[in-house]
Amino acid sequence: MPVTFHIPGALREFTAGQRSVEIEHSPATLADALSALCMLYPGVRDRIVTEQGQVREHINIFIGNENVRYTGGLASRVAAGSEISIVPAVSGG
Amino acid sequence: MGVVYRAFDETLHRDVALKVVKKDARLDSSASQSLLHEARASSSLAHPNICTIHEVGETDGELYIVMELVEGKSLRDLSAEAGLPPASVMRYGAQIASALARAHDRGIVHRDLKTANIVVASDGLVKVLDFGLAKKIGSGVFDATTRSFATMQDTSSVSGTLPYLAPEILRGEVADYRADLWALGVVLYEAASGRLPFEGRTGFEISSAILRELPAPLGPPVPPGLWAIIQRCLAKEPMQRYQRASEIQAALEAIQSGAIVSAEPTAEVPSDVGPPKVVVLHSVRHAQVRKGDFLLLVGTTKGAFILRSNAQRRRWEVGGPYFHGHNVYAMAYDGRAGQHRIWASTQNYWGTLLRSTDDFGKSWTNPQQAPIRFPSDTGVSLKNIWQIALGRTEEPNVLYCGVEPAALFETRDAGETWSLVRGLFDHPHRPRWMPGNGGLALHTIVLDPADGQRMYVAISSGGVYRTNDGGRTWSAQNRGIRAIFLPDKYPEFGQCVHKIAMHPERPERLFLQNHWGLYRSDDGGENWTDIANGVPSDFGFAVIMHPRNPDWVYIVPVESDEFRCACDGRLRVYRTRNAGASWEPLVRGLPQKRAYETVLRDAMTADSFDPAGIYFGTRSGQLFGSRDEGKTWQKILEGLPAVVCVRSAVVEDAAGGLRPTSAKAAAQTAPRQQTKSRSTSRTRRSKSRSKK
Repeated sequence: MPVTFHIPGALREFTAGQRSVEIEHSPATLADALSALCMLYPGVRDRIVTEQGQVREHINIFIGNENVRYTGGLASRVAAGSEISIVPAVSGG
Repeated sequence: MGVVYRAFDETLHRDVALKVVKKDARLDSSASQSLLHEARASSSLAHPNICTIHEVGETDGELYIVMELVEGKSLRDLSAEAGLPPASVMRYGAQIASALARAHDRGIVHRDLKTANIVVASDGLVKVLDFGLAKKIGSGVFDATTRSFATMQDTSSVSGTLPYLAPEILRGEVADYRADLWALGVVLYEAASGRLPFEGRTGFEISSAILRELPAPLGPPVPPGLWAIIQRCLAKEPMQRYQRASEIQAALEAIQSGAIVSAEPTAEVPSDVGPPKVVVLHSVRHAQVRKGDFLLLVGTTKGAFILRSNAQRRRWEVGGPYFHGHNVYAMAYDGRAGQHRIWASTQNYWGTLLRSTDDFGKSWTNPQQAPIRFPSDTGVSLKNIWQIALGRTEEPNVLYCGVEPAALFETRDAGETWSLVRGLFDHPHRPRWMPGNGGLALHTIVLDPADGQRMYVAISSGGVYRTNDGGRTWSAQNRGIRAIFLPDKYPEFGQCVHKIAMHPERPERLFLQNHWGLYRSDDGGENWTDIANGVPSDFGFAVIMHPRNPDWVYIVPVESDEFRCACDGRLRVYRTRNAGASWEPLVRGLPQKRAYETVLRDAMTADSFDPAGIYFGTRSGQLFGSRDEGKTWQKILEGLPAVVCVRSAVVEDAAGGLRPTSAKAAAQTAPRQQTKSRSTSRTRRSKSRSKK
């Protein structure tokens, strides 16, 4: 089963307007899944991760309902059929 | 807990540890039996990270436990003072979590997990001691830290060591294995920082902190991933924590793997996608800019604005906000080589980008790949762009950016590609620069117009650095500048310089607004002299030059480091007309009552008219201007987000390239008609930038 990314509005100009993107092959980890997404839509990359390849501090990524911050970040395992959401963190100011 | 002996097992011929616990009144017979039962259960735990219990028993009124002899240092000793390197914390933490996972699977809860109960052998193997022994032992065997707790309440059903106790235990609720996961969070915090997350002078204070307070955040060198794991362990409600030790183990092992998103962005975009490189803004009001117009570029913490006027500078048309919600710390107008390009840096949670518009804001670049990025070998990530500086007139494709963390970037192809200036980044001083309140930023770039190889930068907190060879080598130029926050008040480097300014006609002379201190150098930064003669405070941020007179300088003093507002609630610009020998307040038209305003380092600028205009924005979102060199002021705009950057520009006439030298002449060069060919017209360079 493919892995599905849910794309937030701010990034859809880089995914040809698509709200969700399916990654056909079976990525083992979130890093693999994101790498595949960024191959398809390169503009997404620098918005989600730093130039050092780490998820930006105020961007949350959820696999299902679990924030990957607590499951090992980019090395989190991605099960087949997972739904991955990219969401900016709540912030103030 | 008890006394531990090194012993020799004569039957099996092995060294063992023998722990003897003296029974007392509080360890009654049933408790003693319970302890023995638990110890026996724990002895069944065969796990490489659990200290094996070989035998338990009772003799002569004393309990004894024979266990594996573990030689090493306790995690408490190892993490004392500053804590362990994050890699060690993650490595040890995963082993501890693994031990807990095994025990919890067998229904055994530790109940007294703490750094003193964890031993690290010389080969890095972790052993968790005293599994299952804490329950029912009661206060009689609590250590010193625990005793204060014992005085607070009946401890008959409570075990453990106070700073490691989970909130549900303190609340008297039924605690389960998730209290061990809390304790693991405390252990990880302590190992990473050398201090406990919840501290206090008394048991009551510690308990109160555990129940109500959040631990102080752990910043670098603790990576965000490790801090996130610790935070999750320390969730006050057990349901909000990890629900299994194995989850913590997996998370700690995962972040150790150093996984990154590999696919470096490529220039090749799939043909069927074609995402826009330029975003056209239809829903934003734009200023209708004409040749000869005068512009103010205003960067705020919530977006950018483009204000248009003519040489009279009386009426203003406002375009924007551009980049809703983004910090725009740097803007610049580039009128070199016939262009009229506006640059802006934008920063929010999606990252930091350098963007530009060639049509005064109607469309902006929105690059797929961030143009300014640290090379992978640096291990550093861009946080913000604080300064955009044009290169010299004879090099119209050269620009510089000063960024956070402190570094200088350079482009030689008008912004198509940017490179890190290695000579500065690799400077041996860099590891000792310290972040100030606004972060560790290179915020000021000053080019020497007379010497194509000489350039100055200012760093908070690092000080002033100068290159004489086009950026290959840099030297600290801070002699005479005070650093009140360092033991050595006049160090070679490390000063918190807020801004420097140079007049192009006197490139050997620099003016400097310091974090406390106002200075001038007459020898290219070799030596600095205090010139705070008669100003109400020598604390401030902005310092700018008059566009023509090299002896005229403008500043806006603020009261102090702690109270960064206009002195006495009176918003006063100070001007010197003698290079700092004396200063005069310029107040006419500025609020003089309850005006607790702050003018930040890049929020003041001048124009190139005669008489010169001076402009500044405040943190409260007001924008002021003077058309008579500061003699009188008018409020141009209010209600803006906090203003962090103000720049001025004259959009020069395509045909004549006239540079207005007087307001009257400039007005004559400002035709009112709309020009449809605006975006492709050729204009000549404006001399309107005040500080570059």
